[in-house]
Amino acid sequence: MMQSHPDTSGSRRANHAKTLSASFVARVGLMAALALIFSYVEAIIPYNPGIPGIKLGIANVVTVIALYKFGAKDACAVSVIRIVIAGLLFNGLFGMIYSLAGACVSLIGMILLKKTDLFSVVGVSMAAGVLHNFGQLLVAAALVEELRIFFYFPVLLFSGIVAGIFVGIVSTLVLRTLK
Amino acid sequence: MKKYIRKADIILFVVLVVIGLAASAALAMSRTEAGKNAKVIIESNGKEYAEYSLYSEETVVVPAPKQLSMDAPDVKASESADAKYDYYNVVKISGGEVSVTEASCKNQVCVKHGSISHTGETIVCLPNRLVVRIVDPEGGGYDAVTS
Repeated sequence: MMQSHPDTSGSRRANHAKTLSASFVARVGLMAALALIFSYVEAIIPYNPGIPGIKLGIANVVTVIALYKFGAKDACAVSVIRIVIAGLLFNGLFGMIYSLAGACVSLIGMILLKKTDLFSVVGVSMAAGVLHNFGQLLVAAALVEELRIFFYFPVLLFSGIVAGIFVGIVSTLVLRTLK
Repeated sequence: MKKYIRKADIILFVVLVVIGLAASAALAMSRTEAGKNAKVIIESNGKEYAEYSLYSEETVVVPAPKQLSMDAPDVKASESADAKYDYYNVVKISGGEVSVTEASCKNQVCVKHGSISHTGETIVCLPNRLVVRIVDPEGGGYDAVTS
């Protein structure tokens, strides 16, 4: 995933540790912990619309803030760490595979859209919400070898728009305060 | 901080909504009234498992492949008299409607999906890799032969 951005490759493995500064490690660790708490809060909210993949994704607020405040490398690191740990703790291996696919697609999308400098935080986040769901759907289709699973697409698209806008608004507010 | 919402955001939003509406419309059109030859095809693990007439009365226990997930099955196999498997779905065909009445998976999406009765409709259980769909050999419009 992170190959999409050449300067991010250093964060992938500990054996590249020489490229990791202490402040980077501390910062990412802090943000990953924060994101994990959001994941947990979301996991314990007893809300189940009956379709997997529909949720607010509050944890992505941290990813968006990391992207805008510290750059793509931080955003990717926070996102991957959060998903792997949340997967092991509460979402299960399946959830983890879906989330990783979604995060992969949405991170690439966010980084590219942010580069164009045409979109606000809300716009980038909205696109990320949709792309996240799309990535999950791709994995689902590959797993069941059944393209017809794309009948979930409209539902996931709209829920992605709503969740993305929500995350974008929260992120904007936080980013303003952080300024 | 740049503007809260910019022009490109609105354009993107409209484009996404239009795509969503178009996809919904396309899906609604692929859904047709099932004819009297309509069949229910049950696929497990990417292969066809069984085929029944939509108007038969059947309750089928479909064993699922071993999970690559570490999620333990939520429903104990012993709770169901029919189920002899750790991972399974129970598909019920009755009165021209198909539903999944029981599933070993955690999220129970296929059970909550309710019943289907139109050509082109599907019920999917991702954890158990189960696909149940209705096809009509004479239905036209919808591609009945895919596998």
